[in-house]
Amino acid sequence: MSNQEQDTVLEARGLSKSFSIVGAADLKVLNEVNLTLKESSSLSIRGDSGCGKTTLLNVIARLEPADKGTLFWGDRKIDAVSKPLATEASWRAKHIGVVYQSYYLIPELTVLENVLMSVRLSGLPITEYELRARELLEQMGVGNKSMQIPSKLSGGERQRVAIARALVNRPQVILADEPTGNLDERTGAEVMNLLLSSCTKEKTSLILVTHNPSFAQATDKTTSLKDGTLIYE
Amino acid sequence: MKSAWPLFLAWKQLFPSQRKVSFFSLLAIVGVALGVNVMIVVVAFMQGFQQKFRSDIIDAQGHARAVPLQRQLEWREDSQKIASQPEVEKVSAYMQGHLLLQNRDYHAVPFSMGIDPGQSDGVLPLNQFLKKGFIPVQGYDSKDVTPIPTTDSLEDDVVFITQQVANRLGVRAATVLLLDDQNFSINKGRLVVERLDPYVESDEWTIEFLSGDQYNLRNSLGSIDLNGSLEQIASDLGWGYPKFNLVEGITPLSKGDRFRFQTFRSSILEIYSPTMIEQAKSDEMAPPREVRVGGIFEVPWQGFHTDALIGTRRFMADMRGEENACDGFFIKFKTDYLHDENKLGELCARLEGYLEGNWRIIPWFVENAWFFDLLKFEEYLMVLIMIPIGLVAAFAIAIALMTTVLRKIREIGLLVAMGGTRFAVGMIFCMQGFIIGSLGALLGCGLALTFIRYRDVLMSFIVTRIAGEDGQAGVTQFYDFYSLEVPYPWESEQSMMTFLTFIVFAVGVSTIAGLLPAWRAARMNPAEALRSE
Repeated sequence: MSNQEQDTVLEARGLSKSFSIVGAADLKVLNEVNLTLKESSSLSIRGDSGCGKTTLLNVIARLEPADKGTLFWGDRKIDAVSKPLATEASWRAKHIGVVYQSYYLIPELTVLENVLMSVRLSGLPITEYELRARELLEQMGVGNKSMQIPSKLSGGERQRVAIARALVNRPQVILADEPTGNLDERTGAEVMNLLLSSCTKEKTSLILVTHNPSFAQATDKTTSLKDGTLIYE
Repeated sequence: MKSAWPLFLAWKQLFPSQRKVSFFSLLAIVGVALGVNVMIVVVAFMQGFQQKFRSDIIDAQGHARAVPLQRQLEWREDSQKIASQPEVEKVSAYMQGHLLLQNRDYHAVPFSMGIDPGQSDGVLPLNQFLKKGFIPVQGYDSKDVTPIPTTDSLEDDVVFITQQVANRLGVRAATVLLLDDQNFSINKGRLVVERLDPYVESDEWTIEFLSGDQYNLRNSLGSIDLNGSLEQIASDLGWGYPKFNLVEGITPLSKGDRFRFQTFRSSILEIYSPTMIEQAKSDEMAPPREVRVGGIFEVPWQGFHTDALIGTRRFMADMRGEENACDGFFIKFKTDYLHDENKLGELCARLEGYLEGNWRIIPWFVENAWFFDLLKFEEYLMVLIMIPIGLVAAFAIAIALMTTVLRKIREIGLLVAMGGTRFAVGMIFCMQGFIIGSLGALLGCGLALTFIRYRDVLMSFIVTRIAGEDGQAGVTQFYDFYSLEVPYPWESEQSMMTFLTFIVFAVGVSTIAGLLPAWRAARMNPAEALRSE
């Protein structure tokens, strides 16, 4: 997937972030982190629990500010220290897809409505994207569950729906935070294969946070986060 | 449409897919609906009562009363002047005062009014009052067939009194009882007494059939003994005798068929006036005036004197010793002026000017302002008591939505991560309040319309359960909900305003109730929300 000619989708320069802890020294979770993600490429981040992987994803997604650093989303330069603005929300909706360990499907909506929620948030026309949502669900192997509610699905099925939701409005980047963390090994492998193949097919870049070395190896670049520093392997 | 997603999600959280309705939504909507229903019904009923009292008051005293500012000797001319106005339908002169009534050892001092019988019917529906006050005698082996008295029998020596006065003095109007029906079949026809004037004496009467169409009519006093035929059955023996008729049945009357009925003369009252008492002071003792009770009446307007007497104006003039006196006029206007108080007020002022300031024209709503102020106060008080009910429902909604916010912390974080603004996420909860309020208000209006439609059945059920069968009569005596006119919103602007006011109130309060949870959701840090357990 990796190609030097490809455009840079995302670049992070010198991202630092620490959390203050009462009665103790500040906990520095990101220390001058640099990261580059090319179009249609994938990158995995491994690391111990609590090392700051999720914080890195949140800072990249502009869900929380960094203490220092700059982000480049394509040509757009963003001061990562600044407080996320409301205007960034619509940009986020169009350019970033998110997949979490706990799926976070909305229990009151059907599978199809959950997938289309990304479209609604992006302000895109539902009718045009409904067919695509159904196709993605078929692709994920849950096409026959489109009218079910999430509570009727297994963990693996829920995560497939979450992947379809992340992909439906063709984002530039998918941020996947331990997407197989709640799944057994076999189901996890299936879901991971689907995620990687879908990203390739959809030409979507992927940042994958995982503990699983074999899943990490499947990405174009593998890194690990240790003592706040991102180490390329 | 991007702006529509909070509404979509708000709707789905209240009415989830694959489920018809959530328990919380149902409870919240029903709560709001009951509140709206109660508020609308109470106010609509209060307005209905006001409307009924308004109509009763107009019946009891006309649309306006003209009162002379000083003694008017040429009042007949002024009466004609008023009557000649195009807006005026009828004018009726009256005299009033208090008289002392005596029957044996019983006394009463009712408010007494003298009217011109010929003119009264257009202004005061006296015949309706007489019908309302008529109570037939209940007998074991007899049936009261007394015709309901009318103003036709109002003469200078005849008075009508209210039930309270009649009960206090132990008097009643002339009565006729059908003692027994010896024909054993209703198919043979029935006796109808068409007139029983106040001068009829107590007597027993028999109609006995000599053949199929010939009969003999006689009384026990022996003054009447005559034969007649069915062809001339409508017997009118003149004033002082009952006038009766026979309605033929399916089976022809035959020889031996007989009707027996008994007449009871009307009570005679002795009346003293203040003038007579004044005369007594100077040793000119005048005998009391004797009058007959022509009928018992009841005025539906409770503000009218419960102890009252109505006689002719000439009778009142005699009693007061003032010939050609007039205490005022009752005025009835044409229907254009029935509902518009401003228009009526302006008309009265114009009439005052037309009468050169000699008369004060008082419209009904000014004369009874105290009563309507009281009703309005009662209405506002009820609303004031009920508003906290709506606020309690709003608090319940706020607490339920706040619980939802806490339950959905990670979902809120996800929505922001997916590109929702914090404001839009907050709007989900605000809109839930709005939806609950709107649906509750609509359901409440539906319930209120149903209540208004079936108010008789429902009120009767409730009152009977609370006060029992006997108590119902007591309740309806003051709040006569059976004759209450409660308009639907499409029939009256006032009713429409009531409905709209409470719809806006319910929607507003419910939406405001959603603001606190919305604010709580909007200020949530999405990264922390996603990390929360």
